[in-house]
Amino acid sequence: MIERRAPAHTVPAVARRDVLRLAGASAAGWIALGATPDRMRIVASLTALPLDDELTRRSMTDSPTSRLGGLIVGLRQRGWVEGVNFRLELRSTFGAPDRLTTAVQELLDLKPDVILTGSTVETAAVLAATKTVPVVFATANDPVGNGFVESLAHPGGNVTGFTNSTAEMGGKWLQLIREAVPDVARVGVLFNPATTPRGGRFFLESIEQEAAACGVSAVPAPVNVPTEIDEAIRRFSEPPKAAMLALVDSFLVVNRQAVVAAAAKYRVPTIYPFHYFMDVGGLMSYGPTLEVRSADYVDLILRGTKAGDLPVQSPRKYELLINRTVARTLGLTIPFTLLARADEIRE
Amino acid sequence: MNEPADQEPLRTPPGRLFRKYLYAIVALVFAALAISTGFDVWFSYREQKQLLAATQREQAASAAIQIGQFIGQIENQIRWLARLPPELSSNEDERLNAIRLLRLSPAIAEIARLDAQGREQVRVSRRVADKVGSNADLSTSPAFRGANDSRAYYGPVYFFGDTEPFMTLATRGTGRAPDVIVAEVNLRFIWDLVAGIRVGNTGKAYVVNRMGVLIAHPDLWRALQRSDLSGHADVRAALDGVGPPSGGLVKEDLSGQRVLSTYATVPSLGWLVFVELPLTEAYAPIYASIGRSTFLLVILLVGAVLVSLVLSRRMTVPIQVLTQGAKRIGSGDLGQRLAIKTGDELEALGDQFNRMAAHLRESYATLERKVVERTSELEKARDQALAEHDAAERARSAAVAANETKSRFLAVVSHELRTPLNGVMGVLQLLDDGSLSEAQRRHLATAAASGETLIALVDAVLEYARLEASTEMLETRDFRLDQLIEAAADLMRPQALDKGLTFGLAGDATVNTAAHGDPVRLNRILLNLIGNAIKFTPNGGSGVNAAAERRDDHVLLRITVRDTGIGIAPDLHERIFEDFVQADDSIARRFGGTGLGLAIARRLTRLMHGELAVESTPGAGSTFTLEVPLGLAGNGIAQGALAPPSRQLRVLLVDDDPVNCEVGEAILKRLGHRATVARNGTSAVELARDQAFDVILMDLHMPDMDGVEAASRIAKLGLPKMPRIIAVTADVSRSARERLAGAGIAKVVSKPILINALREAIEDDPAQETTATQLAAGALIDRHFLEDQRELLGAAQIDKLHHLLDETGEKLIEDITKAAATGDHARLARSAHQLGSAASALGLVRLFERCREIELAAAAMPLLECPSAARELAALRVASMSALDNLLRPSGQRSLD
Repeated sequence: MIERRAPAHTVPAVARRDVLRLAGASAAGWIALGATPDRMRIVASLTALPLDDELTRRSMTDSPTSRLGGLIVGLRQRGWVEGVNFRLELRSTFGAPDRLTTAVQELLDLKPDVILTGSTVETAAVLAATKTVPVVFATANDPVGNGFVESLAHPGGNVTGFTNSTAEMGGKWLQLIREAVPDVARVGVLFNPATTPRGGRFFLESIEQEAAACGVSAVPAPVNVPTEIDEAIRRFSEPPKAAMLALVDSFLVVNRQAVVAAAAKYRVPTIYPFHYFMDVGGLMSYGPTLEVRSADYVDLILRGTKAGDLPVQSPRKYELLINRTVARTLGLTIPFTLLARADEIRE
Repeated sequence: MNEPADQEPLRTPPGRLFRKYLYAIVALVFAALAISTGFDVWFSYREQKQLLAATQREQAASAAIQIGQFIGQIENQIRWLARLPPELSSNEDERLNAIRLLRLSPAIAEIARLDAQGREQVRVSRRVADKVGSNADLSTSPAFRGANDSRAYYGPVYFFGDTEPFMTLATRGTGRAPDVIVAEVNLRFIWDLVAGIRVGNTGKAYVVNRMGVLIAHPDLWRALQRSDLSGHADVRAALDGVGPPSGGLVKEDLSGQRVLSTYATVPSLGWLVFVELPLTEAYAPIYASIGRSTFLLVILLVGAVLVSLVLSRRMTVPIQVLTQGAKRIGSGDLGQRLAIKTGDELEALGDQFNRMAAHLRESYATLERKVVERTSELEKARDQALAEHDAAERARSAAVAANETKSRFLAVVSHELRTPLNGVMGVLQLLDDGSLSEAQRRHLATAAASGETLIALVDAVLEYARLEASTEMLETRDFRLDQLIEAAADLMRPQALDKGLTFGLAGDATVNTAAHGDPVRLNRILLNLIGNAIKFTPNGGSGVNAAAERRDDHVLLRITVRDTGIGIAPDLHERIFEDFVQADDSIARRFGGTGLGLAIARRLTRLMHGELAVESTPGAGSTFTLEVPLGLAGNGIAQGALAPPSRQLRVLLVDDDPVNCEVGEAILKRLGHRATVARNGTSAVELARDQAFDVILMDLHMPDMDGVEAASRIAKLGLPKMPRIIAVTADVSRSARERLAGAGIAKVVSKPILINALREAIEDDPAQETTATQLAAGALIDRHFLEDQRELLGAAQIDKLHHLLDETGEKLIEDITKAAATGDHARLARSAHQLGSAASALGLVRLFERCREIELAAAAMPLLECPSAARELAALRVASMSALDNLLRPSGQRSLD
């Protein structure tokens, strides 16, 4: 482990770092790195989202709440300034499996110092292509199950990253949507088998277990292409009273507007795993707060720490977001138990 | 004293004192500062370290308290939940309460409510679906039992999902059948707390549980790795209950950085909170302090050096000024004033120097003034003395001139008297050719006697004049004493008998001997004394006693002349020897005479180093006693008064007066010599050149050229045999004698010419006489000059010159002799000149003049004459030196001859 200019324990609080110190840190960073100024580090990012997506747009990078923006701000706090001593290379697969291989190869040809992957699909593709370039995955539901890591505490190899929702979260989603829609009889589970862990089975087991416990039926609604989304949701607009669960699925994130639009259109109460869906008008979402910590690991890796020595981090906070306007539109009354639990209630 | 050579070693190198002061002050200040700073830094270092350790311990304790509070807060919250009365709420309400608590406390991941029997009533979770009324029996769970056993249960840390540190917390409610609330706490939330603990700038705090496993670390991933730190020595020691070292522990942290570490225990949990501060930061204030101290030390040192420079300058500059001032004063610059304004003892010292210099200056001024005064006094005295000397000199000159005038007058008068007398006497002598009648012969005798008397009178005057002028010279030769005395007695006896007086001569046997002296003068004294005895004795008689006492180197002749005459009054016993004095005027009338007789006798006696004394009683007669030392006679004294000449000489008689010429020629013929007459100087020179003469009788007063010049010309003729020149003159003054000596004329025959005197002069062969005897002391040395020199130079200097002359003279004579032998004329001239110069310095006039003559004549001097000239000079030098010896000898020791 090499000497580090910026201590890792620093919280990402910009207030503590004034501009002066930032400038000093960047300059001092080179020296501390023992790197020549012309040694430009390459941080590559591979995502399924289109590059013009709100979540990946460069104009958003100043916002630490976005995944990429958080990374850039975090790296800057640790002495890495884009364009000065590292270059960020973004590649997107656009959710298309055929584009994936090309994008991975393009990135590897750049000989990046570290590759950030967006979700399980991209992680698997990159890991299949290289065993040496460090890989940090932003979300992975089941890295051990997917064979990405040996264990969460000691991943080994050239990969580490962050887990997302655990498998039991399926039951939690079901319970929450059932509280919002007390008279629900069936619950549709929306996912793309190609981009969902274990083809959806990762969550379905807890969903089906909970459904059985509370007497509703859980109906998988797999979609493979965006055009199927509308039809998949429409099927739950008809009685008996139905609600839907959107699983953790990069495909759904990419097509979140279509999903939310279809849910509104067919008046199907839907719970989502990420707040991204709320931003485009979703009813409610429950999932781990994605505390942006990838900058920490990228920094450590750029300074020479082996990715395999860094433990895979799990989420520790979960947040419930509810849009009451959407709920009223759907004729739903949000009970106390949900309101008490909600971290944010949008009107 | 003021020579630079003496001052050079005294010169102090400038700045030595300055450097000494400078180094001393700098060293002192440096030592003081260094010691002070050293102690300061040492104590500061120790205090800082202890302070640091104390601060860190406090931070650790504070962190431990915060963590304890964090857990305690959660405990309080679940205790609140546990103490809600069960009857107040349904299960659904209990779920709501639990949800509220989850919102309140994010660290709680799950809450379960168990009834008193351990059956699960409600379970609310963030990850899984809530459960209500599951009644699962959890009575055997450690949490339930722990909560029942004590007020609160703190479970061990466990890791959920392999990475997440969790802990079970349980509390029991109140009442008869209290519920138990079990909460699963996600300890990752301590991370926020731990990351928030500020330990310096770069320090950190981390937490390990009772097993030594890392549960919270600012580097989150380290905690997630489930790192077991129990293998670390400090953790192990802490787990074993060993207290943290008071000064903190220095160790390497997980990233290999050297840190100062300490810890505190979280109360009730038993966790350890380690606080670590990198040494670079921990000791930074200490290093900074040391740096500041060092910087300060350097600044102070520089200051000290500057201050030392100033101080040293202020101390040394006045001292240097003092030194230079002292040096200047030492070198005599007393006008120097030292300007030291230090306001301390140095200024006082400088003032003292100034005062001393002022005193010295005054003293010098006084001294100089006195010297000037004395000098002017001396100058005045000298001027006066010189003036007096000049006056005396003038007086002396006047006296000398007067004396010379007198001498000249006497000489002229005697010459003028004697010239005619000479003629008269000569004619009288010639008249007796044996054919005269008795009457004629008697007349002739009377005339001759009268002439003789007249001549005697003139002679007396002349002689007195000579004596007066100290020009009388003894003309010594060997003679028989008995003959002299008998002749005088025979001469005077007739007079005594004529007066009817008795006349007795009692010659002791001792006088039957020969002696060396001036018989003529001695005879004159005797005749005078006997004449007086006869003259002043009316009746009775007179008698002459003579005795000669042989001494070592001379014969003391004592002659007593007694009479029974009128006698002399005692008060006149000495006066009668004075000039022109007779016992009284009546005597002069009665007896006649010049009154010069005794004066001349006394002077002649003195001239011969003898004594003439009188014993007399008026009316009873007088006794005159003459004592004269005479030299011992050589052998072969001719017996008989008129011995024929040893050989016939060719004599040139030079005189302008025809009478004198005739008389002189006649006398010469009578004496058996062949005479040639020259009537003037020119013809005399011509005759001398043309004919060979043995002797030239030269009258000095001639119209065309005087005798001296004629003699000089003859000397310059370079004749093969230089004739002896005898001057015939009535002028017997000293200057005349000197002129004669200069012209090589040593013999003088006074006019009128007496046969005996002429015979002696002619037959006095110089070859048989030593030069020394020929020359009198008076003529060898200019006494006046010598006296003047002695007065001028002092006796010591004269002595020195005397010795010098002795030495150089000897050497020069050698040179002259050699030069003469080799015929080196130039050298002869040079050496003669040198000898003459040397001789002149002490008034050896004869030597000087002879030297000059030889010098002048050297170039033309025939080779044969050179050795004789050299011999002459040598003899002259010896004689001069011995005469000089006599003169310079203290008067009491002066030799008699």
